[in-house]
Amino acid sequence: MSHDSHHAPVACKTELAPERSDLGLYRPDRATGLIDWLTTVDHKKIGIMYGAFAMLYFLIGGVEALAIRTQLARPDNDFVTARMYNQLFTMHGTTMIFLGVMPLSAAFFNFLVPLQVGARDVAFPRLNAFSLWTFVFGAFVLNASWLFEFGHLAGWFDSFAWHKALVYTDFAPANGWFSYAPLSGTFGANGQALRFTGVGTDFWIIGIQILGIASLAASFNFICTIINMRAKGMTMMRLPVFTWMTLVTSVLIILAFPAITVALIELMFDRAFGANFFNPSAGGQPVLWQHLFWIFGHPEVYILVLPAMGIVSEVLPTFTGKSLFGYPIIVFSGAVIGFLGFAVWSHHMFTTGLGPVPTAAFSLLTMAIAVPTGVKIFNWLGTIWGGRIRFTPPMVLALGFIWMFMCGGFSGVMHSSAPADSQQQDSYFVIAHFHYVLLGGVLLGLMAGLYFWFPKIFGRMPNAPVAYLGSALVILGFNLAFGPMHYLGLAGQPRRTHTYHAGNGWETWNFVATIGAYVLGIGVVLVFGNLVWTAFRGKKCGNDPWDGRTLEWSLPSPVPEYNFAQAPVVATRDAFFEHKHGAKKIGLENDGGEAGVHMPSQSWMPMLASAGFLFIGFGMPMMAMGIPHAGWLVISGLGVLFLGIWLWALEGPGGYMLKTPAPSGAPAPAETVAH
Amino acid sequence: MSDTAAAHEAPTSTGIDHKKLIMWLFLASDCMFFGTLISTHLLYRKLFPAGFTDAEGHQRFIQDLFSIELTSFSTFILLMSSFLMALAVSAMHKGQLKSFRRNVLGVIIFGLIFLGCQVFEFTHFYHKGLTIQNSVLGSTFYVLTGTHGTHVAIGVLWLILLYFYSFTGKLGGHMGALDVEVAGLYWHFVDIVWIIIFTAVYLVEYLGPYGIWGSGLPAVVK
Repeated sequence: MSHDSHHAPVACKTELAPERSDLGLYRPDRATGLIDWLTTVDHKKIGIMYGAFAMLYFLIGGVEALAIRTQLARPDNDFVTARMYNQLFTMHGTTMIFLGVMPLSAAFFNFLVPLQVGARDVAFPRLNAFSLWTFVFGAFVLNASWLFEFGHLAGWFDSFAWHKALVYTDFAPANGWFSYAPLSGTFGANGQALRFTGVGTDFWIIGIQILGIASLAASFNFICTIINMRAKGMTMMRLPVFTWMTLVTSVLIILAFPAITVALIELMFDRAFGANFFNPSAGGQPVLWQHLFWIFGHPEVYILVLPAMGIVSEVLPTFTGKSLFGYPIIVFSGAVIGFLGFAVWSHHMFTTGLGPVPTAAFSLLTMAIAVPTGVKIFNWLGTIWGGRIRFTPPMVLALGFIWMFMCGGFSGVMHSSAPADSQQQDSYFVIAHFHYVLLGGVLLGLMAGLYFWFPKIFGRMPNAPVAYLGSALVILGFNLAFGPMHYLGLAGQPRRTHTYHAGNGWETWNFVATIGAYVLGIGVVLVFGNLVWTAFRGKKCGNDPWDGRTLEWSLPSPVPEYNFAQAPVVATRDAFFEHKHGAKKIGLENDGGEAGVHMPSQSWMPMLASAGFLFIGFGMPMMAMGIPHAGWLVISGLGVLFLGIWLWALEGPGGYMLKTPAPSGAPAPAETVAH
Repeated sequence: MSDTAAAHEAPTSTGIDHKKLIMWLFLASDCMFFGTLISTHLLYRKLFPAGFTDAEGHQRFIQDLFSIELTSFSTFILLMSSFLMALAVSAMHKGQLKSFRRNVLGVIIFGLIFLGCQVFEFTHFYHKGLTIQNSVLGSTFYVLTGTHGTHVAIGVLWLILLYFYSFTGKLGGHMGALDVEVAGLYWHFVDIVWIIIFTAVYLVEYLGPYGIWGSGLPAVVK
């Protein structure tokens, strides 16, 4: 293949000569503006898009949460109907987990992993674009169900004959984020496939399926990148902890998602083709759904939290001026958490009657998983201990993470005891627990990451006073909203119930929780709004504003397309910090820098392939609704997917050479930015 | 086929090509995928050993449907296709394009024979009364073996594309051999999964109370 030799190196890709791919089509390599973003294979741009979509869905999920809290502010409230309430809490959970936290983590994976391992891109740039667009279309399919619900509320569908047949209870998903069978499944013998819930469940099934494909493709890519594309000298035990946690998270994703994929396929066969996997009338076992869901669902909790732990492990050493205390133990604990994460799923199912032996075993393993988590917390405390702490916005958020996550951990250990859990099951106590983990833990961690790396991503510094104010409101509002729920749960308030009567002693704390939720909402808007403002208008800052420790800080901000003009050679952990303050300098590999850096070509094909999922995503629910000929939409979607992959394979990898500003022999990138 | 910018540039950290590594990762994920499907089937077999009720309301046993001779034949064919696949990969590594084409054509034909047997089996079972809708057994059996069949079909499609691609002259050298080897990894995996399915879904049925060492099928069903 001589595709990369017929190009002379160019300083900017717009100077490229028009080039046809192996298929004879023009490559979008020279594109700028919108087309550039749509066809990009640059991991940094893909990361930014992941982040932007994640913030959008955080806001949508937040609005859903505020609607829930408004409904619960007073007893016997009728702000929303019970039907709407079910859809709100289902879509709130699904949105926050699959469209908020996971893509925001993916944004960090994309942006940081190649920079931290010293690579110029991920292992499969086009596959990376495919992951992004598949996520975008999957998220769209899932949320499009709201449009049907709103259309129904507006009465648009009343005149259609098929309307009466297609919905029983909902248009948007309304089963909870776990969609337990048999509520989400079918009943009736011999393939009647009578359903408890409406088309929302079908949207949920296909939407999660598509999002799963996006996560799987991205994870294969990141594992490959981390294992295979490390710079010279970057041994596994010199990897930054964030990269390590990305690796563990990706391994969890590739091993946990198949379980939910199969469960979703089975549920889809039940609903669309009258199969009997979870149909109690035909002997199907709804508890099997719970097992399959939580075999995925529990590792998923660690998929959500490990990236945030990785971020905190980067932020704390930077702002204490110390290296991470017990690096090998932190890495090992992360791996142990990932491993044990597969062995605790049944603690979500203590009340299903597993029998004494499994219950005891899962209790024990759940308690055991607190050990590596505690080890991590003590290591973070050890990192802070004796350090010169700088209370920058990311540091404040990271310290908030440790504190809040620990509270969530404590109530988690309480759940591990089966007798206690059977009292707490399905009460607000559980809601308090996992919001302390997911919001106090994960969201604060991710926000810390955003404030930490934003100067690297955009070369601009977020406004500090607004950041402090936003962080304070988030932490205050969050505790006000979820602290009282511990009490409400123990006082017996059940989850997923659209209202409650006065006189149970729940009124005061529900009202306080609602106020807290609004304070939290204002805080989140400030925190995110500040970032959006920063991206466009923030004050420009240097390449290394925090005195960073890892390789990404050695690069200019914003990072050039090719990342490293010359590949770095690493001699130690915290390579850039050592380079600035220690004896071990970052070397530069003589990899033909003057000839330019080989860049992968941009392509429409990943997006085309992903677009197939859009057809499938709308076709499957319509098929389940019984709309005639909807099956052809699914088949055409598969056709588009196949066509996209086929053209993708045939167009050839392409690529061009980009000149770097520092020809070989010139000063090292590190030296150009050192203070 | 080549997706990576770096594959033909810098050597990888581990010395394993990106494509090969990502295929191994995919196969690890696929193990969990088939593991879940096989578990579902076996769990329900344990719960409902008696099989299913057909359209006339008769209790039927799965051993009653099986034509173990046919399935053994198709299993053997799939095993032999793996042998040919290994020969095709080896030929590609040596740069013997003609030998590669011959062998890969064999794999495609054997894969199609296997799929033909499966189509025949599904139709046969359906006419004997086992449907995806009338029992849990039907659901788990058809979805499990059907998913495997889909994997084989994707593999056949992939190999057909590689076969025709080899005539364009672009399939060659290290990258060409790698593309074929990765397809080979996939093919061998799908084959190994079938060995497990054949054992767990077909052969094991002959060990139980209704099998060869038991009293045989109750007379009423026959």
